Amino acid sequence: MNLMPQSLSKYYRLFVLSWQNGLVYRTSLLIWRLRQLLSTLMALTIWSVIFTDQSSAFSYTRSEMISYVFLVSILQSLILASSLHSLAGDIYNGNISQQLLKPQNLFMHFSALEVADKLRNVFFSLIEGAALYALFMPTIIWPSLQTWFVFIIWAILGTVIHFFITIIFGSIGFWSPETWGPKFLFFMILDFTAGKLYPLDILPRAVQQVLLITPFPYLSYVQIQLFLGRLTSTQMAWGWISLLIWTVITWLVAQWVWTKGTKGYEANGL
Amino acid sequence: MSDAVIQVDHLSKYFKVYHKEAGLWGSVKSLVHREYHEVKAVDDVSFEIKQGEIVGFIGQNGAGKTTTLKVLSGLLYPTNGQVRVLGYNPWDRQPAFQKQFALVMGQKNQLWWDLPAIETFLLNQAIYEIPEAQFKKTLNKLVELLDVSDILNVQVRKLSLGQRMKCELIAALLHNPKVLFLDEPTIGLDVVMQKVLRDFIRTYNAEFNSTIILTSHYMGDVKELCERAIIIDKGHKIFDGKLQSIIDRYARNKILSLIMSENVSLKQLEKYGEVKEFELPKVTLLVPRAQATKVAGQILTHLPVLDVNIEEPPIEAIIREVFETKADLQV
Repeated sequence: MNLMPQSLSKYYRLFVLSWQNGLVYRTSLLIWRLRQLLSTLMALTIWSVIFTDQSSAFSYTRSEMISYVFLVSILQSLILASSLHSLAGDIYNGNISQQLLKPQNLFMHFSALEVADKLRNVFFSLIEGAALYALFMPTIIWPSLQTWFVFIIWAILGTVIHFFITIIFGSIGFWSPETWGPKFLFFMILDFTAGKLYPLDILPRAVQQVLLITPFPYLSYVQIQLFLGRLTSTQMAWGWISLLIWTVITWLVAQWVWTKGTKGYEANGL
Repeated sequence: MSDAVIQVDHLSKYFKVYHKEAGLWGSVKSLVHREYHEVKAVDDVSFEIKQGEIVGFIGQNGAGKTTTLKVLSGLLYPTNGQVRVLGYNPWDRQPAFQKQFALVMGQKNQLWWDLPAIETFLLNQAIYEIPEAQFKKTLNKLVELLDVSDILNVQVRKLSLGQRMKCELIAALLHNPKVLFLDEPTIGLDVVMQKVLRDFIRTYNAEFNSTIILTSHYMGDVKELCERAIIIDKGHKIFDGKLQSIIDRYARNKILSLIMSENVSLKQLEKYGEVKEFELPKVTLLVPRAQATKVAGQILTHLPVLDVNIEEPPIEAIIREVFETKADLQV
């Protein structure tokens, strides 16, 4: 007996299909994971070398920084990974026409694909993380249950914000074939401002202040700071407010851009 | 009140197109200044289609056929005019409407490329909320009609073009659509597969009393399937009526194909009509339609003929003449 409402079972089926699709090519899967593993391994090695003859750097202890690298690896899989990189091109080339014709909510359709992709990423990241832990045997900071709870909610909010930003950038395809440039610029900015390559608090204070009014630090950095216990209660409140505000803003913009885009959609190449 | 399933009333759809000058300098200039002009893809087109009809959309590339289908399926927002399909405004994209029609595109597919076709069928079952019993019944019927039981579990990318097209049709028809838009469904297929698909479309139409609009570059598709045709030229409807009436009006000649038993001269043949082919023993003559039977009789009496065949000119040639003469066919 199917206990799932029919309206949801379509997205569940899409989720399952996305997993199946992601497991078709074994070599691609292996190389993809190897790339992720090497990226984390490299970061761990660099920071381990920096901490060889000093107990702290940039106000981080060794265990804080190693924990940071592990958390970045997980959050990158959860928040920053996306199956919608080709959305703008798919829109411009008319490849989303079939989806627009079906009795489904397209936002839910994309969400199902995103969740499937992110969970696949997290699944493999956890296995790789365990392997790296066995290799480096680092001291990992483990927060309280309450912090864990808030961390998970913040990670989910970060994921939602990133999803809406992806939809906004993907919507460029409704108007222009030049989708690669803006996307490339976005990912460049994201690499430097989401805390993916280094903690943002090693930057000058003025730069930090500016960054904190953009959505980017809320796509990994603040979650990690929370996990490591480096946020004051004021900063936590600011974190909550910012995450909620950016969720609403990006949601509204994504809705508006998508509605406007579909109205002018030309279904090219059909 | 009209009993039409599809109502199109003064439909227009215009696009803004960027016009680039040729050459490198044109590309450089386009970086700072771009000129756009408006293209009238569909301009003031009206028609109605009743339930159960199969209508052929005929037109040259860029005539506006596919644009019309895109508007009818709710993909494009019309610039002007009204469109109703099954009583719905397609652009509203209401699930109740989307569950009753399908658009099949010969050049775009909905099958998941790296997975077997059956996976897409199961996904569509969930998306269209098809009850299990109905799904199994329809799937079995379509699989039997199209003879694809042995390829359902094969990766789509490993299938031939014809096999893929059959699976595309199944994916599009699982929810038993009342209205079917077929955009070049036989493109790229060999003649055997074209016939299989035409037979299938005819059977589907008869069995489900579905309303079908078909666009195709293969006039054979239109001739075999559609009693009624709509001809579109540069966004304007120039004909809407029985395909046979175009043939009657535009096919001024019939073709007499002769196999001669002895040699004859060109001069002997020219008395009976325009000689199109003279490669003895094979001869082809064009004769006025009204006199075709009489002339054939005269040839049989006066010339050494082994075999004679009277044919209509190919529909492609008739349609070509329609576009070349640009006559007003409006009915």
